[in-house]
Amino acid sequence: MKTSKYILYTVLSAFVLFAMSSCEPAALTEDDVFVQETDLDAMLQAESPEGYKIFELEQFLDTFMTEKGNFWSDTSQYRERSWDSKHDLYLYSVDTIPTNGRGIYIRGRITTDDYAGNFYKAMVIQQIIGGKQQNLRISVDLGSSAGMYQMGQEIVIRCNGLAVGRYANQPQLCVPSYNNNIYAMNASQKVGWCPGRIEGSVFRRNTKMIGAPDRSAIKYDTLTLATLYSEIKKKPSANTTDMSAVRKMDGRLVVLKDVHFNGQYDDNGTVKDCVVGHPDTVGGANVFAPSTQNIGYPQSRIVQDQGTNTLMCSSSEYAKFAYYYLPGADKTGVGGCANFEGTVTGILGWYLDKASDLADDKLDGFEWSVTPRGIPGFGIPDIQMYYQGDTESPWVPKEYDPNDK
Amino acid sequence: MRNKLFSMMCVLCIGLTAFAQTSLKGRVIDDATQTPIVGARITLANQNISTTTNASGDFLLLYLDAMDEEVLIEAEGYMATLELINLKENQANELVTVQLQQDVVTQTQDEILLNLTEEEMTDDEGRSQAQASSSSASTDVFNSTTSFAWSTARYRNRGYNSTAETYYIEGLPFNSAERGQFNYSAMGGLNDASRYKEVLNPMEASDFSFGGLGQSTNYMMGASRYAQGWKVGAAGTNRNYKARLNATYSSGVMSNGWAITAQIAYRFSPYVDNKGIIGEGIKYYSLGYFFTAERVWDNARLKLITFGAPTERGQNAAVTQEVYDLTGSNNYNPYWGYQNGKVRNSRIVKSYDPTVIAAYEWKIDEQQKLKAAVGYHYSMYSNSALNYFNAPDPRPDYYRNLPSAMWDGQIANPWYETSADQLYRADGTPYGYGLFIGEDMMGNYLGSAWIADDGNLVGPSVNKEQYNTLVNLWKTRDNKTTQIDWNNIYAANYANNANDPTASARYFIERRHNDIQEATAAINYQNTQFEHLKMTAGLEGRFSQGIHYKTVDDLLGGNQWIDIDAFADRDIKELASNSGFTQEDIKLIRQNETREGYELNKKDGDRFGYDYRINMGNLKAWFQNEWTFHEIDLYYALQLNFNSMQRTTNMINGRAWYLTKLAVEQGDAENYWKYYGKSAFERIDAGDATIQNVGNTIVGDAHYFLDPAFKLGLVYKINGRNRLKLNALAETTAPYARDAYISQRVHDRVVDNIYTHDNAKSLADFYASSEKVASADLTYEFNYPIVRGRVTGFFTQSWNGTELNGYYDDEARTFVNQALTGIDKRYLGIEAALAVKLGTYFTLTGAASVGDYRYTSDANSVTSAENGMPMTQDQGTMDLVFETRDKVLLKGLKLSSGPQVNASLKLSFFHSKMWFADVTVNYHDWNYLSVAPSRRMQGLYTGRRTDGTAVNGWFGDTYTNAIETTDGLDLRVDVDANGNAVYENAVLDANGVPVLKYPFNLMTMQESLAATNPLNRFTVDASVGKLIYLKNRQSVSINLSVTNLTNNTHFKTGGYQQARLPRAVRQGQLDYKNSTITSNAWKYPSKYYYAWGINFFLTVTYKF
Repeated sequence: MKTSKYILYTVLSAFVLFAMSSCEPAALTEDDVFVQETDLDAMLQAESPEGYKIFELEQFLDTFMTEKGNFWSDTSQYRERSWDSKHDLYLYSVDTIPTNGRGIYIRGRITTDDYAGNFYKAMVIQQIIGGKQQNLRISVDLGSSAGMYQMGQEIVIRCNGLAVGRYANQPQLCVPSYNNNIYAMNASQKVGWCPGRIEGSVFRRNTKMIGAPDRSAIKYDTLTLATLYSEIKKKPSANTTDMSAVRKMDGRLVVLKDVHFNGQYDDNGTVKDCVVGHPDTVGGANVFAPSTQNIGYPQSRIVQDQGTNTLMCSSSEYAKFAYYYLPGADKTGVGGCANFEGTVTGILGWYLDKASDLADDKLDGFEWSVTPRGIPGFGIPDIQMYYQGDTESPWVPKEYDPNDK
Repeated sequence: MRNKLFSMMCVLCIGLTAFAQTSLKGRVIDDATQTPIVGARITLANQNISTTTNASGDFLLLYLDAMDEEVLIEAEGYMATLELINLKENQANELVTVQLQQDVVTQTQDEILLNLTEEEMTDDEGRSQAQASSSSASTDVFNSTTSFAWSTARYRNRGYNSTAETYYIEGLPFNSAERGQFNYSAMGGLNDASRYKEVLNPMEASDFSFGGLGQSTNYMMGASRYAQGWKVGAAGTNRNYKARLNATYSSGVMSNGWAITAQIAYRFSPYVDNKGIIGEGIKYYSLGYFFTAERVWDNARLKLITFGAPTERGQNAAVTQEVYDLTGSNNYNPYWGYQNGKVRNSRIVKSYDPTVIAAYEWKIDEQQKLKAAVGYHYSMYSNSALNYFNAPDPRPDYYRNLPSAMWDGQIANPWYETSADQLYRADGTPYGYGLFIGEDMMGNYLGSAWIADDGNLVGPSVNKEQYNTLVNLWKTRDNKTTQIDWNNIYAANYANNANDPTASARYFIERRHNDIQEATAAINYQNTQFEHLKMTAGLEGRFSQGIHYKTVDDLLGGNQWIDIDAFADRDIKELASNSGFTQEDIKLIRQNETREGYELNKKDGDRFGYDYRINMGNLKAWFQNEWTFHEIDLYYALQLNFNSMQRTTNMINGRAWYLTKLAVEQGDAENYWKYYGKSAFERIDAGDATIQNVGNTIVGDAHYFLDPAFKLGLVYKINGRNRLKLNALAETTAPYARDAYISQRVHDRVVDNIYTHDNAKSLADFYASSEKVASADLTYEFNYPIVRGRVTGFFTQSWNGTELNGYYDDEARTFVNQALTGIDKRYLGIEAALAVKLGTYFTLTGAASVGDYRYTSDANSVTSAENGMPMTQDQGTMDLVFETRDKVLLKGLKLSSGPQVNASLKLSFFHSKMWFADVTVNYHDWNYLSVAPSRRMQGLYTGRRTDGTAVNGWFGDTYTNAIETTDGLDLRVDVDANGNAVYENAVLDANGVPVLKYPFNLMTMQESLAATNPLNRFTVDASVGKLIYLKNRQSVSINLSVTNLTNNTHFKTGGYQQARLPRAVRQGQLDYKNSTITSNAWKYPSKYYYAWGINFFLTVTYKF
């Protein structure tokens, strides 16, 4: 009897102990993981005992970004393509950010998404002040960053230890990085220090998410190409004031209405007609972005309004939709792409990688481009009407059948 | 009544026989409890005769020679003792009752060893660490000395894989039919339950099975073996669990003939919230139970046994040396982070293997015995892991998150750069031949290298501030940097919900279930009716079913997980463009289940990803004849082993569908059916079904294997104290299911040379894929009162082994599976042990093992992408190639099978007042890291695979950049400006084959795990204990065991070479032509496990 009691007690206590033993911490709630607006000041003060400042984006550029950058110590480190000695023009710069012990912050809402592959290790944040868009690119070494920092998410970034610079004239939050791609085209003109990606761990540590994302709070400007060109200077002159104004348009989110793909593309400065061909080998194939044989430069397809205004639509060969046909309503035009009428949404960019072009007034207007963030089915429907295209037939390089709806 | 009569007759016979012959009888009891010890082995040293005690602790030996004899009495859990007796002719000699004293030290070591082996059974990603042998309890001087002492170094007996060790419980086979290993976690913490066992050295004659290449162990769990009374204990340790409570009760054999024994053991550790200590970020809860009832008759026994140990425990991971250096601790664990301020580990193992066994032993007569047993167990094993989709990799030690990621692109190409700085580790040793760039392409000097905060000399082109920032985040163990950031993970999911409530969670925890259920039956018959001959025959049958699926464990705030394959989704562009599929098709390819109506949205607890079974049948028949003569013993045994395996799946994976369709489109008739199984495909092909309605379960093809085995042994008894033993074995073994299917999660495709009844052309095909093994050993054994020991030399050769690997391939940019066949291995070595009594109190024991375990052939490999992506393109036809075939240059490389040189010297102290102590010094060397086959592919060296496809840009009809050599290989070495080979820069491997020019040879060479400083190859262990006898046969024992007393933190126990190669696509060329290995040879370095630093195990046991 005594033994039976012992056995019973032993078994019971063992099971009770085991039952009590195993559980994970309570799940986190939204309140736990997002910074509340009301708590932000206290958090930043705690991080910055000597005080802090949140800069407006344009103010941030004006304060810290210089024409030459402060990172290079001598001219031997300026690369040929990025520096025009005649006019003392610089397309690449890196400025470290002096803090004097204070916390330097910027704040904005993310307008990009990298799922479709058209943005790679880069994002754009937008700040609306007085109804006006201010935008800044951020270069981050974080693959699939949009999974964590999603479109519509407002973030505040501590910039201490980071840098601001220009890559092919596009301003961005960055760190100095040495580009050693000796296999690149014109490598000897490109290899060297440039604005590079912020380490992913550092970015995560320096970034706070304010509230849940709200895509509806993202501001975009709906406009025709004609209106766009009335607002921006398509071919700015080679003076820094002009350049500075143009740069501030970079990263703007625009919805271009009443445009179509005209079946043409820019082949390294020459406008050519798209052709039917396999995009693995045919650079002019009538898709968004044929292969560059892994050189990796963006591929441009030209959108046009009903007049003569055109703009490059820029896509990466690594985009999920790279080999999708360019949309065209009746598919009878050049390259099977004419007479599409719709909107193209994307991030406006002004990309210039050769300073002498600017200095010598060789701009052709195609330095401007719009970069769609995605297509229907991939999260962000930047190209409307695409899905009116063919999704059922096997993909083969071919011309569209006009009767194929 | 009939039984009683039978018993009386037996006793009478024994009595009469004993009276007429020289005999010896006696009784063995527990010194403390005075209860009988069952199963104690009694050996007469001079006459080489032995027996075991019965349920009353009694033994009887007949037909002895009259002489002065030494009687060795050994029992599991007790210290062996030696008694001297003068055996008088034709008399019934009697030994005074032998009282054995508990071996508290060995019992504690057994417990530590059981825990160690259980935990290291399965590492994450299916990798298995080197495993210690658990067969500690053996009277063999070599085994008893080494099994615990060398477990720290993950020593493996003779270098064999753990599948070579066979485990039985009451004669039933318990190695997994699917993976070949024994599941120690089934007996987690049940040290008493697993105490009694027979351990046989490799290839020796066995009463319970045919045995095998390695040791064979049979656990005996009959209740009558356990000493009557209670035993309660508590243990404290600083290992993965922190405490253990234990209670065992045994009734002894009761008057009704029944005996009952039960054990319950609770081991636990709450989450360890201290960085840098053993078990950081780990929790551990395990409740083991064991119950056995035994009915004892005079000529029969019935045993009913059940046990199990539901366990939940956190895991840790191997990491790179950089991470160990940065964190300053060998105990760093990347799997955990803080959630709500509390520790949470992402990798939680849950295991429970409830087992029931019924065994019956029938002593038919004095010459015949029959044993029969049936058993069933359902092994539930699952481990959790963070999964993610279209979001940053959450692993803190992901290579992009480490400072060394910033070297990428900054290491000079040795062909172009001349002025640069040597790269050093923090301890001053060079990393190798790597050079940072020192100047730009225009020849401008970039500056000097600088010493970073991690002690590395870093090149001038690396951003100093960022590098040091990252270094210091790691060195200070910043939570957000060095641990899982649960906050951001939840935030990503909540943000996702806000943007699109119907979207797939960005992160979630999945649970990978690898269950197996097995029903086993075995029957064993022994006959000794012929003089000098013992005949044993056995039949074993087993049906096993491996059950594999995933479930959603925790959505981490996400609304749902959408069940599509991330790799297939990412490669949409290639899948769409290369195969002529519609976009709707492509959507289907991404799905893990393609049937219409399948709910893609998964919630907590739902199955997803894969859900398949592997059904396995096994039937073994064997017999063994043992001949015993005065000077010579001889035995031989034969076995026939039939195996079958068949995969069935409840989900129709989109990639399987895709590959089938591709095969059909390409007219590849041989592969039409391989991905589903012939019957399913034929129904689809005939139009009777579509893949979407072919059935709820698709039954794949059945594959059959027939394997014979033969072994023999000879013992030459030089005299009573010296003997020579020779054993030999020849066998073939079928591949395990885990290695037989190329991508069993996705489809039915098996490795080459595995046949069905349809496509086999002859009986020989059923062992075409089997590994062939031949082995022999020769032992000299001696046993004197003061000194005993043995020396064994062994040689084993195996041919045609099969292995399966999976890894992320930088060139294909996707996850690939690689099946290796035709692997030949050789194991050659010598093991020796010597125990010397030094006076009354001390014993000195030495043991050593020196081996040479290596590959003796190259292997053939077939590599394919799991998501169905093409691997390359045929340069002639331009056809896409979905499976590449190549040779893996393994010949001459050492096996990663634990240290191949091991030595121990142990000084033991024992005082008759029951004080115990020992100290052991161990040395381990010749330990090698496992080689990643992807780094040894012939194509890497020659530019061309064996299937003719090109690798790494050495492309073109004429192979203009390759050098034709006498052996016909286009060796990838430098060419000078005139196109002549520059051989002086080529590094030759052990076979004289040039490997890639430095620093690329770093990626291909085999790495030694032995510490650089020879002193760090030593470890020291010690233990001390005391057994206190109380009144009324009660006792208390206390034992403290300290391992790695000198806190040697430089001792690597294992790890693996990452299969991923640092490749980059060279610009300006097509995908399949231009992948090149980058200069940053350190991009995916090896990962290691280190031995724990000083650790202890303290036990207190009270018996009453």
